[in-house]
Amino acid sequence: MKFFQYLLKIDRRIIYIIMGLLVTLPLVKPLGLGVTSGPRATRLFEAVDSIPAGKTLLISVDFDPASMPELYPMLTALMRHAFAKNLKVLLCGLWPTGMGLAIKAATDIPPEYGKKYGEDVVYLGYKPGVDAVILGMGENIKNVYPYDYAGRSLDSLPMMRDVQRLRDIPMIVALSAGTPGYSDWLAYAQSRYGMKIGTGLTAVSAADAYPFLQSGQLTGLLAGMKGAAEYEVLVQKNNYSKAYMPAVAAMDSQSLAHVVIMILVIIGNIAYFVTRKRRS
Amino acid sequence: MKRNIPLAICLGMGILMMVQFFVPHPISVGFYDLTTKWVRIVAAFALVLGVGSFVMYHSEKLRRRRPGWFYSVVALVAAAVSTVVGLAWGVKQTSPLQNYIFTPLLVPLNASMFAILAFYMASAAYRAFRARTKESALLLIAAFIVMLGMVPIGAAIWHKLPDLAEWILSVPNMAAKRAITFGVALGGIATALKVILGIERGWLGGGKQ
Amino acid sequence: MHISHSLPTWVAAILTIGIFSFLWKDNPFYKFCEHLFVGVSIGYGIAVTWYNGVYPDLVTPLFRQGKPLYIIPLVLGLCYFCRFIPKVSWLIRFPMAFVFGWSMGVAIPATFQTSIIKQIQGTLLTPAIFARWDVLLWAIISFVGVICTVFYFFFSREHKGALRLASQTGVVYLMVGFGASFGYTVMARMSLLIGRLQFILRDWLGVIH
Repeated sequence: MKFFQYLLKIDRRIIYIIMGLLVTLPLVKPLGLGVTSGPRATRLFEAVDSIPAGKTLLISVDFDPASMPELYPMLTALMRHAFAKNLKVLLCGLWPTGMGLAIKAATDIPPEYGKKYGEDVVYLGYKPGVDAVILGMGENIKNVYPYDYAGRSLDSLPMMRDVQRLRDIPMIVALSAGTPGYSDWLAYAQSRYGMKIGTGLTAVSAADAYPFLQSGQLTGLLAGMKGAAEYEVLVQKNNYSKAYMPAVAAMDSQSLAHVVIMILVIIGNIAYFVTRKRRS
Repeated sequence: MKRNIPLAICLGMGILMMVQFFVPHPISVGFYDLTTKWVRIVAAFALVLGVGSFVMYHSEKLRRRRPGWFYSVVALVAAAVSTVVGLAWGVKQTSPLQNYIFTPLLVPLNASMFAILAFYMASAAYRAFRARTKESALLLIAAFIVMLGMVPIGAAIWHKLPDLAEWILSVPNMAAKRAITFGVALGGIATALKVILGIERGWLGGGKQ
Repeated sequence: MHISHSLPTWVAAILTIGIFSFLWKDNPFYKFCEHLFVGVSIGYGIAVTWYNGVYPDLVTPLFRQGKPLYIIPLVLGLCYFCRFIPKVSWLIRFPMAFVFGWSMGVAIPATFQTSIIKQIQGTLLTPAIFARWDVLLWAIISFVGVICTVFYFFFSREHKGALRLASQTGVVYLMVGFGASFGYTVMARMSLLIGRLQFILRDWLGVIH
């Protein structure tokens, strides 16, 4: 009885230490569990894969460094997939603190495939206004973004000659950590301009996106770090990239973390019910 | 006048934009283009409110030497330095803003703030998550299935677990979230109509003016 | 182990440890990091908004290209500054009325289309679901779930009889939905912690490659 009472009153720092150690261990000594791709990630992969070469994929970087572990691997995997298929990549963003991450991706990934900024990839930058930005892009992208993030005129960038408005883009992938995000792209880009939209979300918001997936409004969904790992595996399996896969590397740790949480909840419940029964 | 003209502007813009959605006439599209540009500009200025509140709060704390005033100095100096660096050298990839402010400061601070939530969640789950009723037990079971099914160890334990988790997400979870979506959407539309029609006036602020 | 020699990496690692130190207890180092984060975020936001928003959308067309109509959004935007002058703080209502009216007007048809019409279309039982027995069964379960969950949120009538049965069924779906959300939330929070640990172990300490 005393043991269970002690369990209920255990110092939270002991839980933190247990958590920290058990999450760190698989990063140093991987368990080798492997990752298989689910139907939602496969659907998004196939949708991007079916875009004809030379066309443009628009990726909206709607997240900040807080969601970087989940969404940045999605961004890099999508860009690698697009470049391997000879697609052009157009980046934009509705979050100001996502700008640095988009710049990093636009700088680091293209050279792996011999792609050049301005010809194969353009980052438009952040623009305040959410609904006004998306609706404006639907009519004329250059009205919203006369210059890219660094102040270069869009007219001077060869890639932008064939992309005037959203309808010139076969697919949009919104990588969202919350609001503004995929729901705004659905509400404005899809309802008004009929755009095909896929999304990558933090796991927190992923469960809420299922109604849109079932109704066909979303073409594919990457949910959290697992979704990023699934897409990375698909890109590698199809020989589009041999790059390091940070999301896949984290999956062993993720697995153990979930098991630890479950065990903690079970122990907490056992201790609670035993002490309650003894007391009554 | 101080309340009626803004209410009239809100009413006018709301109705015009609702009607514009259905009218493809060039005048309608031209109006839409023009107002879209203006809204982006006005929306950018809204940052002033956040910055102003931040400066006022920390300046007041500093002026009155309230406990922790030193940290207000840190916040104000950090804001001033990053603003000056950003405005002076721009936001390009090689700019000091990206190399000395964003990458070494903003990324680790922002990411770490949210990373420590994992520990709080573990502690909260241990202390507070009790299956006292049938409903909470059902919630717990669904959570466990999804937690295991969505990671590789779930497939290692039972090869059908990922499929079961996928079913839970695609069928009952989808149904519940769809119902919530209906409610939120209808509530949002009702609130939007109330704001446009001037029934909801909270955004005007209080006072005799 | 190959410890990094890069100064930005060391700064990032020290700030990460500073934020994590809050897990032990609140301390001056954590408070310093927290206020630094707030200040840097504000400064970064100002710089980005100026270079990506205000300068290309307002300053260039108005002052460099000589388009006088842009004075209107400039004046509206400057009204935000009146928030800090008590005598004329009521002027902030004008830009707010413009933006709110515009946003609400645009949002109503968009929300109706996305969150209501399309979602109703997705809920309806169509002939296509009879292709397979499992698709038919899950479609019926989803349909029942959506209807019952919507009934749960109908508080205008006491939940008695058939309404009580429907709302209790709705509660079952809601609990499964919230359980799924909780499972995903655990995944999200753990991912953020793992991301930070990957930075510390790989980029800073060089323990993993």
